[in-house]
Amino acid sequence: MSKESDKLYSTLENEALICGRCGYCRSACPVYRVVGWESAAPRGKISMARDIFSKKQTSPITDDFVKRLSQCTLCGACANECSTSIDTRKLWLDLRRRIASLGKEPKAYDAIRDNLLANKNITTFNNDDRLEWAQDLDDPEALEPRAGAEVCYFVGCVSAFFPQAAQIPLAVAEILTEAEVDFTTMGGEEWCCGFPLIGSGFVDDSEQFIKHNVEKIKELGIHTLIASCASCYHVWKHDSEQALAGYELEVLHTTEYLARLIKEGKIELNELDEVVTYHDPCDLGRNSGIYDAPREIITSIPGIQFVEMQHHHESSLCCGGGGNLQSVDADVAAKIARLRAEEIKATGATIIVSACQQCEQMLTTAVREGKLPVKVMDLSQLILEAMG
Amino acid sequence: MNKEIVQKMLDKYGERATDSMFERSLYARDLAPVPAILANMLIKTLPDIVVRPANTEEAAEIMKVAYANNIPVTPRAGASTVYFDSVPTKSGILMDLNLIKGIVGLDKGGMTVTVKAGTTWSELDEFLNNQGLAPKSFPSSAPAATIGGWFCMMGYGIGSMKYGSLLSQVKSIEVVLPDGSIKKISRETDPALDWFVSSEGTLGIITQLEVEVRKLNNMKHFLLQLPDARNMLDAMKAIIKAPVVPYNMHFSDQECLKAMYALGFSPANMDVGCIIGIDYEGSDEELKQAQEIIDSLAVANKLVNPIPQESAELEWEEKFKALKLKRGGPSVLGAEIWLPIKGLPAYLSDVQKMARGYGLNLFSYGHVVTPEYATVMTTFYADETQTIKYIINLSLVKKIHDIGHRYGGKPYGVGLWNSPMVGRIHQPPQLSELRKRKQAMDSKGIMNPGKVYRSPLMLNPFNYSLGMNVLAGVRRVFGKGW
Repeated sequence: MSKESDKLYSTLENEALICGRCGYCRSACPVYRVVGWESAAPRGKISMARDIFSKKQTSPITDDFVKRLSQCTLCGACANECSTSIDTRKLWLDLRRRIASLGKEPKAYDAIRDNLLANKNITTFNNDDRLEWAQDLDDPEALEPRAGAEVCYFVGCVSAFFPQAAQIPLAVAEILTEAEVDFTTMGGEEWCCGFPLIGSGFVDDSEQFIKHNVEKIKELGIHTLIASCASCYHVWKHDSEQALAGYELEVLHTTEYLARLIKEGKIELNELDEVVTYHDPCDLGRNSGIYDAPREIITSIPGIQFVEMQHHHESSLCCGGGGNLQSVDADVAAKIARLRAEEIKATGATIIVSACQQCEQMLTTAVREGKLPVKVMDLSQLILEAMG
Repeated sequence: MNKEIVQKMLDKYGERATDSMFERSLYARDLAPVPAILANMLIKTLPDIVVRPANTEEAAEIMKVAYANNIPVTPRAGASTVYFDSVPTKSGILMDLNLIKGIVGLDKGGMTVTVKAGTTWSELDEFLNNQGLAPKSFPSSAPAATIGGWFCMMGYGIGSMKYGSLLSQVKSIEVVLPDGSIKKISRETDPALDWFVSSEGTLGIITQLEVEVRKLNNMKHFLLQLPDARNMLDAMKAIIKAPVVPYNMHFSDQECLKAMYALGFSPANMDVGCIIGIDYEGSDEELKQAQEIIDSLAVANKLVNPIPQESAELEWEEKFKALKLKRGGPSVLGAEIWLPIKGLPAYLSDVQKMARGYGLNLFSYGHVVTPEYATVMTTFYADETQTIKYIINLSLVKKIHDIGHRYGGKPYGVGLWNSPMVGRIHQPPQLSELRKRKQAMDSKGIMNPGKVYRSPLMLNPFNYSLGMNVLAGVRRVFGKGW
């Protein structure tokens, strides 16, 4: 039986009582590692949730409690360790949903929602400008939505609007073009995947975003969707099942799709003389079970020496950038990223590769602060470099 | 606690100290879901301040302040016991030792590692494994339990069968004594090392330990199904007598297997009989011999049913997850007993009689930790949201201990909740010696007070016995199905 299938969840009231307070989760929690108080540990939060929800609101919902709940990257490390098999990631999302339904969510979450409802993306830019990054391509028009394409590339808000992340969609587009893949994008019809809303407890609001994106995919007649953002991928793969019911859509992360192209011989990789390590994004690795494809790509590049960090695969350490943590406590998020930077340093790698724009942004800052002689790259950028 | 002293500590330790009610409330509990109404009636669990010292010197500074001002100090790290060992009984200072962690040094020649006390056993294991080494033994709560914490308890668990108690593997410790002085303790010092094992943090704060390690060897895992407890004991004895000593041996009784089956995670989907898991580590030759031992056992006794290797390996992988049984709860109550294995069948039989008498399911599992003794956990489901029924159910814990006592057993660990049974745990001369040691080391009684040596007034053995027996009587008459 796999670890993933071992995770169980019934109701918040029940799971909070089932928690044995053993503290295995505490040892694995990146937030506890940097905050240090029992209230920041998963078992501490569940203990308080038990008093509030399982014991029929014998304790009030305090601002302190809400703050601690928001100090969580949703990395899922606690779920991996749980001795009673609680799917704690589901529990945190359920708790945030309850808190939001009571109107006690952090103000930062309201700002996220208001902005998303207004702009359909996580920035204040006009959503019609989603393909702005493509202007650097030879033929940007080719990326406009096109019905019947073999593949649709779901770009994601960070890649589409953050200049520092623009190299990622450019790399993906160049690789797909080089491999002669018949692909398109959703252009301005792509809305945020809904992940920031789910992570803030506004699940109902997220549904309209999911529904919109699914409808557009159906309209385009797309049957293979690839996403380079680990969180977008997670939403398409795990949270869109209901909206997709009855429609055949293969959802892949770009690492899976590109690994397939490499195996099929559609991408030729040249030698790179580098020491490379890989950071598993939580939503791609621990929370979706994709560990092999990225490693297969890296090790298929001739000349590369691949090294693992101290924590990898299911025990990988979070970058600090998940779960909307940056929006409520950027300091804690940055401290977690520094822990990961220490592990990167210990490998002696010249390149740290990941497969999530948010991870790459967090690690870039941490590596720069630590003055480490390491280049942070997305896997698509590494492939493009190897393609020469 | 004097407000000025609290403020001075807050000023001195900054973000590593707190007097916030929100934060402190989480240090007034451990794994045991004891209703606050009951705990607060007996003791003062809420610390006045929680401080997280970064090193031994800071722990000593805090201890000096406590000593000078007669302030109770409760040390705490993993807080992975159920006896309130690391929960205050008289408020005061709670010293959270989780920052005192990390590897100090590895002596590969001498095969020892020096490690800070707040390091978890899993963290030590990970470090040692990277060096081709491993701890000789570790607790079944290794992902949370700390090196210092396990030493403060009895220190028997996985690996004890082959390598003995943790005490036998520890060369020396560094301790902050109640007066704030720092002392290195070994077998040759006065006081000696054995004073501190099982002391449950009542003689000082252990901050560092030098522990023997072993070579990381290959392992082989076996799982045997037996029809009943008598046959289980016979198989255990045969395995113990064999020339290769198992690294670990654990077992589950029929009811435990049924409970696991009902939850969908019994080994090999079994729901009949008892099971023994046997784990060997060593050279290839030893592992070959181990295979022969188990094979010949199965050939000699047709009642021994070997379960496929894959299930045995999965059982080993899941060794830290006994709490998974709690999914059938929501709450679980129980007793952990240090029991002579020769009494195991009779103990389990009486436990089932008790179960029938009270109309509940009692399931037992445990580890054989020496050739003669096992730690046996007997548990039952309860519901802590039903406070009155839950408190009445607590009385059954004593009844389980009574059965254990009948067969030469005693509570495994004392803390607060087993302190009324301290007369069963220690013989009078031994208890008298322990009390003398406490007086010699901590004449002011500030070091983790209310634990180990005698029970608080309201929990004295007479009151405890009377109260629990009355509640058990109520439970027997009115509580079927609670």
